[in-house]
Amino acid sequence: MRLRSNLLAIAALLAASFAGAASAEPDEATRAARWADLRGQLFGDRVIEDGADLLALEAPDRAEDAAIVPVRIRIAGGLRRDIDRLYLVIDDNPSPLAGRFAFGPAADPSEIAIRVRVDDYTYLHAVAETKNRRLYAVARFIKAAGGCSAPAGKDQALAMQRLGQMKLTTMGSAHVGEPLQAHFLLSHPNSSGMQMDQVSRNYIRADFVRSVRVRYAGTPVLTLESDISISEDPSLTFAFVPNAPAGEIEVVVEDSSNRHFEQSWPVKIEPAT
Amino acid sequence: MGLFTSGAWVFSPLLFALAGPCVVFAAPLAVTEIAPGIYIHAGVAEEASAGNDDAIANIGFIIGDAGVMVVDPGGSAVEGEKLREAIHAVTDRPIRYVVLTHVHPDHIFGAATFRADHAEFIGHARLPGALAQRGEYYIKTLHRALGDAAAGSEIVTPTHLVAAREAVDLGDREVEIRAHGPAHTDNDLTLFDRRTATLWLSDLLFVERIPAIDGSVVGWIEELEEMTHVVAQRAVPGHGPPVVAWPAAAEPELRYLRAVRDGTRLAIRENIDIAEAPRHVALEERGKWLLFDDYHARNVTTAYKELEWE
Repeated sequence: MRLRSNLLAIAALLAASFAGAASAEPDEATRAARWADLRGQLFGDRVIEDGADLLALEAPDRAEDAAIVPVRIRIAGGLRRDIDRLYLVIDDNPSPLAGRFAFGPAADPSEIAIRVRVDDYTYLHAVAETKNRRLYAVARFIKAAGGCSAPAGKDQALAMQRLGQMKLTTMGSAHVGEPLQAHFLLSHPNSSGMQMDQVSRNYIRADFVRSVRVRYAGTPVLTLESDISISEDPSLTFAFVPNAPAGEIEVVVEDSSNRHFEQSWPVKIEPAT
Repeated sequence: MGLFTSGAWVFSPLLFALAGPCVVFAAPLAVTEIAPGIYIHAGVAEEASAGNDDAIANIGFIIGDAGVMVVDPGGSAVEGEKLREAIHAVTDRPIRYVVLTHVHPDHIFGAATFRADHAEFIGHARLPGALAQRGEYYIKTLHRALGDAAAGSEIVTPTHLVAAREAVDLGDREVEIRAHGPAHTDNDLTLFDRRTATLWLSDLLFVERIPAIDGSVVGWIEELEEMTHVVAQRAVPGHGPPVVAWPAAAEPELRYLRAVRDGTRLAIRENIDIAEAPRHVALEERGKWLLFDDYHARNVTTAYKELEWE
């Protein structure tokens, strides 16, 4: 897929440009140039409008744990009807396109929350793309460091045992035609491939989630394409609108090791009053 | 007992710290003999910095007829060298064992110094995996925190692994080494010196300094509860005074860990997001621990990630 090769191409571009500026803290001009590079890679010379009235990007000013940074993107009323895709960019990460979200007919694209790795002090950008291809962006600065090279989970044996397990919880009661928020959790190391094995002196193999596809009663809700900027044990909060009185949420996950996980959960729909 | 030992502090203006085959003259680390043949250096309750050479953990050694067992060689090559000098100041027995109680930098980065002794490096069966995952990262962060003072600090992989329990014979005394399930980390070792009934808990026990959860909060509580049944004359914590009463010293830590566990479970049940949870959990513990604001929020985040799978 074109996007996948883009992710790694951007990484290579930035790896090259970072090599020279080792110790100096980037100034605003450098940061602006970096965003200009990234948006060029992602969107060519398309116009990107200021999304301040339409999008809100929430993240801590300073992350407690750079490997588990909670980011929330809220989408305002008008944009919810028109939005087709959402891009989350972590400008100074080795792989800056943290995630691309594509919304389906059963989505309620009012809010997305995800946990990411932040490798250095950086701007985050959320870019919304509408169905008629207009782009809107907001930015937020965050202070965090080391998220991408940070050591993996606390209990290695448990992590491997649990690999592929999923949880889905819905919040509140479900009614046909009304938005319902859900939280999805997947046990997966999401290894960046950037850690070196001290014993073998080889790089620990990258092993990360490539896509998460969510459907309700067969209708697409959301597809997330991502790679190493997502935290270990990917966590995704989203909302959907049950369009049928009975149905299951189905999630299908594929990863870079060609693993395939899928699971369905029934959603208890309250009868119409 | 305060954080600083009552041993004499020897400062030499001729202190050099050099990597490589040059002769090193390092001022010996100040140590306290807390039981016959058991010497401890108490670390400072600070974050690692050039000012403290990452000497922030309690480290030391046990002397037996047949040789010396180092328990945690220190947080940097500089500290390791000073520890080695401290050993030479009290005994000429050979250094036979270096126990790496767990993967954290403040306990193990002094290890390279002891290669010269051809010692056996003892670690938990899961330590190699943890070193593989984290070693590179720890080296980078050590250099970032210590600058030049990090020179010579290296990862040394264990030469002998403990998966359950083993007794090491030091001649006139036996030291039992025990491998724990995930607790402070997933590769914690504790030791018990049978001759003096001294329980060396390393980072399974934090006193005064806030515990850092980097393994399993549920597992740590279980391991600690079990260890409180061990009959010991004294205990050595990984952080805090060099010697404490046992099992009394475990109570505050158990209280803190249970508060984090129970408060986080509640937050998860109430759908409080991981970002918000630290503001809701175990706030009554602030004021009872040093470095609370540096570690508590991260502890809650770690516990949240563990407990949301329940």
